[in-house]
Amino acid sequence: MSQRAQDSLWSLSRGQRLRYLCAIAALAAGILLAFGLPLATRAAIDGPLTQALGRAGALPAEDNWLQELGVRLGAGVRGQLWLAGVIFLLLAALSGICLYFKTRLAASASEGMVCRFRERLFGHITRLPMSWLDDADTGDLVQRCTSDMETVRAFLSTQILEIARALLLVVLVTPILFALDVQLAMVALALLPVIVAFAYVFFSRIKSLFKTMDEAEGAMTTVLQENLTAIRVVRAFGRQEHERQKFEVRSANYRVHHQRFIKLLGLYWSTSDVLSMGQMGLVLIVGAWFTKSGDLSVGTLTAFLEYEALIIWPVRQLGRVLSEAGKAVVSMRRLREVLAVEEESALEGNTATVLPPLTGAIEVRDLSFAYKGGKPVLRNVSLSLAAGQTLALIGRPGSGKSTLVQLLLRLYDYEEGSIRLDGQELSSLPRQFVRSQFGPVLQEPFLYSRSLEDNLKIGAPRAGSESLHAAAGAAAIHDSIVEFQHGYETEVGERGVTLSGGQRQRVAIARALLCEPTILILDDSLSAVDTVTESAILAALTERRGQGTTILIAHRLSSVMHADLILVLEAGRVVESGSHQSLILEDGPYQRLWRVQGYLEDEIQSEGGRKA
Amino acid sequence: MTSDQAGVPRDEPKAGVDLALWRRLWSFTRPFSREKRRLVLFAMGTALFDTALPWVTKAVVDDLTTAGASLPLGRYAALYAFLTLGLASCVMGFINSGGALRTGVSFEIRRAGFRNLQDLSFSFFDRRPVGWLMARMTSDCERLTNILAWGLLDLVWGFSVMSSVTVVMFLVDWRLALTLLSVVPALAWVSRYFQRKILSSSRVVRKINSKITAAYNEGISGVRTTKVFVRESGNADEFSRLTLDMRGASVRNALQSAVYLPLVLVLASLASGLVLGVGGSRVLAGAIPLGTLVMFLAFCHLFFDPIQELARLFAEMQMAQASAERVLGLIEEQPAIADSASVRANIANQTASARPADIAVDGGAAEIGVIRFEGVSFTYDGGQEVLRDFDLEVHAGETLALVGPTGGGKSTILSLLCRFYEPTSGRITLDGVDYTDRSLAWLQSQLGIVLQTPQLFSGSIAENIRYGDLEASDEDLHAAARLVGAEQFILGLDEGYATQVGEGGGKLSTGEKQLLSFARAWLKSPAILIMDEATSSIDTETERHIQAGLAQVLTGRTSFVIAHRLSTIRSADRILVIKDGRITESGKHKELLDLGGHYHELYTSQSLRETGQQPGAWDE
Repeated sequence: MSQRAQDSLWSLSRGQRLRYLCAIAALAAGILLAFGLPLATRAAIDGPLTQALGRAGALPAEDNWLQELGVRLGAGVRGQLWLAGVIFLLLAALSGICLYFKTRLAASASEGMVCRFRERLFGHITRLPMSWLDDADTGDLVQRCTSDMETVRAFLSTQILEIARALLLVVLVTPILFALDVQLAMVALALLPVIVAFAYVFFSRIKSLFKTMDEAEGAMTTVLQENLTAIRVVRAFGRQEHERQKFEVRSANYRVHHQRFIKLLGLYWSTSDVLSMGQMGLVLIVGAWFTKSGDLSVGTLTAFLEYEALIIWPVRQLGRVLSEAGKAVVSMRRLREVLAVEEESALEGNTATVLPPLTGAIEVRDLSFAYKGGKPVLRNVSLSLAAGQTLALIGRPGSGKSTLVQLLLRLYDYEEGSIRLDGQELSSLPRQFVRSQFGPVLQEPFLYSRSLEDNLKIGAPRAGSESLHAAAGAAAIHDSIVEFQHGYETEVGERGVTLSGGQRQRVAIARALLCEPTILILDDSLSAVDTVTESAILAALTERRGQGTTILIAHRLSSVMHADLILVLEAGRVVESGSHQSLILEDGPYQRLWRVQGYLEDEIQSEGGRKA
Repeated sequence: MTSDQAGVPRDEPKAGVDLALWRRLWSFTRPFSREKRRLVLFAMGTALFDTALPWVTKAVVDDLTTAGASLPLGRYAALYAFLTLGLASCVMGFINSGGALRTGVSFEIRRAGFRNLQDLSFSFFDRRPVGWLMARMTSDCERLTNILAWGLLDLVWGFSVMSSVTVVMFLVDWRLALTLLSVVPALAWVSRYFQRKILSSSRVVRKINSKITAAYNEGISGVRTTKVFVRESGNADEFSRLTLDMRGASVRNALQSAVYLPLVLVLASLASGLVLGVGGSRVLAGAIPLGTLVMFLAFCHLFFDPIQELARLFAEMQMAQASAERVLGLIEEQPAIADSASVRANIANQTASARPADIAVDGGAAEIGVIRFEGVSFTYDGGQEVLRDFDLEVHAGETLALVGPTGGGKSTILSLLCRFYEPTSGRITLDGVDYTDRSLAWLQSQLGIVLQTPQLFSGSIAENIRYGDLEASDEDLHAAARLVGAEQFILGLDEGYATQVGEGGGKLSTGEKQLLSFARAWLKSPAILIMDEATSSIDTETERHIQAGLAQVLTGRTSFVIAHRLSTIRSADRILVIKDGRITESGKHKELLDLGGHYHELYTSQSLRETGQQPGAWDE
C-alpha cells in the first residue's frame, strides 16, 4: 500500500528538506572557516615568528600569505602578528555565524517534522477503528507516541547533525592535512577508526545492561507506588517495617546496577581518553621527529595538533551516536506499525451538513455480529422502532445490549443483516453524520481533564449557558456543579475535583442531552445514581417522548417499564419483545423478573408493614 | 559530567543559590566520606594532568626552535604516555567514586524518604497525590544527587584546572597570563546568562512535553467518547495548538544554544587572537620561547571548559532548589499522629522485662473490650466539620453496620477508630483509656481492614495472603483462602498459590483481588475487623460463595461494616444510620424497617436494584 511509503521519514521531511540541506551547508561552511584558524596560527609561527628567530626551515616570505599580506598593507613584523590575531577572530566570528544558522535551520526543520509527525499520529489514532483499538495495549500505544517519538526526535534534531558534523570534519580535514604533509596526515588519521569502532561496540554491548538497570529501577518504583497506593493496608496490618525492608532491598539492588553501569562508563571514558590522547601524542612525537629532520615546519606541526584537537571530540562521540541512532530505526518501525493500520472508512469530508437530519426511526433486520475472532455476540436480532419512541434493552451482562448500541453508533461494522435509520442503510451513511445524530451516554463515561463546562459542551460547542444549565438540570447535576467552588469552571480530573461515579454519569447524561440528539442512548447510565435522583432524571427524560427516540439499557424494571418496546436479550438473541403490559402476561424471563421484584416488594411491605 | 536523569519541570529559577538548603542536602553525603575524598583527589589529579599535557608540547616546540637543543623524543614520548595514562586513571577514578557517591546518596535519600512516609499521617497524604510523592522520590531524588556528586566533581575539577593553569601562566609569563585572563569575565558573564536561559527554556519544553503525553493518554483512553461526539477535528485542533507550542519552545531552546555556543567560540578566539598578538610580540622580543606561546594557545581552550561547566552547575542548582525543598520537606516532615512521650517511655519499660500475655507492648491491656466515642468532633484540614459531638459505645464481639448517604461521615468514623486521624475534639477510649495514651502500632496491629478497592502487592498469591501474618504456615494460609471461598479460583490458576498477581494485583479481577484481601484480613485474625464497602466490588455470584465464611469471620469479633449489600447489613447486631455526622437511626434490621425512616427508604429502593443484578432473577 502507498501508506507505507507515505509514512517514511523521507516523506515526512517534505517541505523541510531544503532547510536541512542549508543546515548541512552552513555546517560545512562553519567547519571550513574553523579550519582556517590553525592555518592562521601556522602562518604566524612559520612567518614572522620563525624568521625573527632566524631559524632554518622557515618558509620563504613569498610562500607565506600572512607575510605577503602584511607587506602589502605595509605592516611590520609585529603588525603581521596582530593581523594573524585579527584574522583568527574574524574566521571564528564567521564560523560562529554559520554555526548559528546551522542550529537555527536544523531546529526549525526537525521540530517542524516532529510537529507534523505528532499531529499525523494523533489524528490517525482517533480515526482508527474501535475493533483495532480494543485489542491495543493502551500503555504500549502511549509509549510509542511519546518515548518512541522522542527517540525519533532526538535522531532528527541532534543525532543526524552530530553524525554529519563528525563525518564532515573528517572528510574536510583530510585533504587539508594531506596538503600540509602526506606522511603526518596518515599518522594523524591512524587511530580515528579505532576510536569510533570502540565507542560503537561499547555502547551497543551495554544496551542489555542498561535494560537490567532500568528494570531494577522499575521494580523499586513498583514497590514505592504500591506502598503509597495501599498505605491504609500497610498501616492497618502494621507492616511498615516489612515495607521498609522490601523497599530497601529493591532500592539497594537498583543502586548496585546503577553503580555498575557508571563504573562501565568510567572504563569507557578512560579507555577512550587513552586512545584519543594517544592519537594526539602520536602526532606530536612523530611530527616533532619529522620537523627535527627538516621535513616539516614548526607551524605545520602546531597546525596538525590544532586540527587533531578540533576533530577528536566529535569523532569520539560518533561511535556512541551511531549506536544510539540504531534506536531511532526501531522506534520509527514501531511508529510506522501504528500508522500502517487502516483508518475507519467514510470519515473524511464534511458530509454531516449536507444530509438532512434524521427523524430517528430505527429498523433492524436479522442482525448478527461477532467481535474480531470472537463468538457471535448478536444473533438474528430484529426490531423496529418509530421516531420518538423509547426502546429498552434488558438482559444480563454479556447478552449483547451494549454491542447493539455500539453498532448503531457505527463504532463497529456489521456484516450480516441490516440496520436502517429513517429507511437508509446505516453502512451507507457517513460515520460522522450517523454519530452526530446520537446523544450517547456510554457505560463508564469518560470525561476529559478540562472544565465541567467544556466537558458538557463537547458535543455542542456553541450551546448557550441557558441550555447548558437546562441540560444539567435535567440530568440532576446542576445543583452539585453550582456547589463546587468554581461552579461550571471546575476542572475535572487530576488537577481538579474527583467526581463520584454517580456524578460522572450525570455529567455524561447532561452532555448527551445538550446535543439535543435525535436518538438518545443511555447505556446502564444510572447504575451509580441513587434511586431518588434516578426517578427525577427518568421523569425529565419522558419529556423527550414524541420528540426524540430514546434507547435505554437498565437493570431495574421500574426504569424500563414505560418504554414503548422492551427487548429481552439472552446470549445475543432476542428472547422476548413487546411492551411491559404484554410481557408480564407471557411466561418468560421478563415475567419471572417481574415476579421476583414484585415478591421482594411484598416482603418489604410485610416487614415494614406495621408502619406503612 | 553529563547528568543521566532529567528532572521534573514546574520550578522557576530563584534569585540565588541558597547555601543553607544545599548544606542540609549535603548532610546525606556524610556516610560517604571515603568516596568524597577520592572524588576530590581524582578530580584534582585530572586537573593537574590536564595542565601538564600542554607543557610537553611546549617543551617539544622549544627544543625544535632553540638552536642547538637536542630533542630527546624517546623521553618525551614516555612522559606523554605517562601523563596520558595518569589522566585516564584519574578519569576512571573520579567516575567510579562519583558513581558510588551518587548512587549511595540517592539510596540514602530514598531510604530516609520512604521511612518517613511510613510514619506520616493521613492528613499528609490527603494533600499530596501518589504521583506527586513518586516524583519526589524518583526523579527529584535522581536530579539532586546528580547535582551533588557531579557538581562536586565540576567544582573541584573546575577550580583546580583554573587555579593550576593560572599558577603556571603567571610563573611562565605574567603579561601573557593577564592577556588571557582579560577575556574571562566576559566569558563568565555570557555563560552564566545563557546557561540559565537555556535551562529554563528546556524546562518549558519538558512541561509542554508532559502535556503532550497527557493529551495522547486522553486521546487514546477517551477515543470512544471522541468518536461518538464527533470530536475528532476539535481534538486534533487542540492537539495541534499544543504541538505548535512545543515546536516554538523547542526552537527557542535551540536558538539559545545557537547563540551561546558560537559566542563562546568567538570569545575563546578573541583570547587566542590576543595571545597570538601579545605573545608573538613577546617571542619577537625574545622574552619567551615559541613553545610558551603554543602552550598558552592550548590553555585558552583548557581555561574555557570549566567556566562553562561551573556556569551550568550554578544554573542547575538554582533550578533544582524547589526540588530540594520538596524532597527535604518530605524527609523532615513530622508525623502529626505518633506515640506520645509517656507512651514511648512505657514501651521502653515494657521491653526491658518479660511481660505477661494480657499486657500489651505499651503496658496497657492486651485485649480491647469496650470502645467509646465520647463527644467526638472532626474536621478535615481546612474543610468542613464531618462529625459533631458524636457518641458511640461498642462492646467486644459486636457487629455494627453503618449505613447512610455518601459524605455523611461513615468512613470518617472508621478512620478515627483506626487512628488514621485523631478527633479534633472529644476522645475515643478503649476500656476507659484515651487511645492517644496507647501505642499507635499496637492499636493498628489489632485491626483487620478490607476496603472497597482491594489493594494487593506484586508477588505471589501466597505472599499476598501472608501479608496478614508473616509467620503463618501454609496450612493456615490455605485455610484462610478456603474460608473466604478464594481457594477455588486460586487452584484453578496454573501455578496455584505461587501465581504472580502482577503489579498492584493487576492480573486478577477486582472480585478475585477482594477475595484475597478477605483472606489476608482473616489470616491476621484481628481483634477488630473493619470492612468499608468491601463487598461492593464483588459480583453477586461470588458474594454468595463467601457469605458463609464471612458470617464465621464476623461472629465473636468486634466488627464495623459499611455496606450497601443488604445481606451483610441484615445480619448485623446493630445498624446505625449516619447522616450529616450524626446517628439518626439505630437498632436491628426489623426495628429500623418498622421505623419507616431513612433505612426503610434505602432498603426498599436498593432491593429493587439488586434483584435486577442477581443471577437468580434470570434463571428458572
